[in-house]
Amino acid sequence: MNLEYTIFFDYAPTILLGFWLTLKIVVCAISLGIPLGLFLALGRRSNFLILSFLSTSFIEVFRNTPFIIQVFLFYYVLPFYGVRISAEYVGIIALAAFGSAYFAEIIRAGIDAVPKGQLESARAIGMTDWQSMKNIILPQTLSIVLPPLTNQTLTLIKESAILSTITVHELTMTGLMVQGETFRPFEVFIMVALLYWALNETIATIMRRFEKNINKNRNTSSANNSIATLKQSENTR
Amino acid sequence: MKFDISYIIDALPRLFEGALITLQVAILGFCLSLILATFLTIVRTSFNSRIFSSLLAFYISFIRGTPLLVQIFLIYYVLPVFGLNLGPFSSGIIAITLNSAAFVTEILRGGLASVPNGQFEAAKSLGVSGVALWRKIILPQTFIASIPPLVNEFTMVLKATALLSVITVVELMRVSQQIYSANYHPVEVLSATFVIYFLMCFVVSRSSAILENKLKIKRA
Repeated sequence: MNLEYTIFFDYAPTILLGFWLTLKIVVCAISLGIPLGLFLALGRRSNFLILSFLSTSFIEVFRNTPFIIQVFLFYYVLPFYGVRISAEYVGIIALAAFGSAYFAEIIRAGIDAVPKGQLESARAIGMTDWQSMKNIILPQTLSIVLPPLTNQTLTLIKESAILSTITVHELTMTGLMVQGETFRPFEVFIMVALLYWALNETIATIMRRFEKNINKNRNTSSANNSIATLKQSENTR
Repeated sequence: MKFDISYIIDALPRLFEGALITLQVAILGFCLSLILATFLTIVRTSFNSRIFSSLLAFYISFIRGTPLLVQIFLIYYVLPVFGLNLGPFSSGIIAITLNSAAFVTEILRGGLASVPNGQFEAAKSLGVSGVALWRKIILPQTFIASIPPLVNEFTMVLKATALLSVITVVELMRVSQQIYSANYHPVEVLSATFVIYFLMCFVVSRSSAILENKLKIKRA
């Protein structure tokens, strides 16, 4: 088989347009997903039974089902209840919901890794629950949760490929369309795969450097254990 | 429109059939990837070759850096170009296996790291080497140490099989798509499928602790 190099140049603008939409979708999904994940993590830990039950079930349900069926459910259920929005927004919502379940578990593990005495002393000097969470606990979890959060971000980038099944014109979808036009699957999908790979490696490298900077400023020997366990439990696909 | 439960009841028998196929695909893919990953791990550790290690690292990085969906398309559309017409089922199994093997290799690396170096040295001084060293001494310890991540990986594979529906493998997801494109009630059918997937994955992910306990007793 000989490669058709012209495809790389002729279709680069189309493919890059799809890449740009993938980026936009993932950024939106993350900026929605992390606050929702924080809310779910706090909800799961709360003493208010209904809230903690609801958060726990949300997390478990979204972690234990394939993303593709979540996407299809959102795609068909929202119009069923009269919400008619374009596929891109459905994709963002689905990706944010899926991501938030994982973000919640990461944040919860991070909160658990902070010594219990921290919360107790914060309460003892008269801070409210929310104040001690915001000022004492959450800042300390930051360096612990950063590596798994990065991993999860990379997972979301990869999972966003699945949005092509509900006709969102992101990277994979444009790849499929170009493939349909050119009948050169090898060139097209290698190009698509390389773009995803490059994006993932870039983010991973930047975040690794960033983590090093953070760790320089603080002694995280006690947190290292929990990082190791988090890394083992969070599998990126 | 109203949520009509009778469509779920009608669809259930076919959905269960699809679920069985999903389980078969997942078990087959996972077992193959386990074999491949074990082989790769053994070769990496015992030959200690630079070239092999960097090739393996390249492979793992590629698999981890690209979406499974793109990998599936690559295998499904590209193998025929080279003259290999395998059909969706085999291509799907190959894609799942190659994908999962990268993750399992990483898991086994972690498990192998938990086996003390002294085990290798003790085996050597007793004259145990080659197949016996791996089969009787190192691999059992490696696998027992990696049960929780391996079970986690199996649920990942179980969820990943749903992606094979895009290349027309008739598993649970595809069956549900066939049903709702015939009766135009996607919400009911997809909800039922969603619940089936959840039950399968939830049961598997909860079985990790049981499996670990059982194997630990055997070992003592």
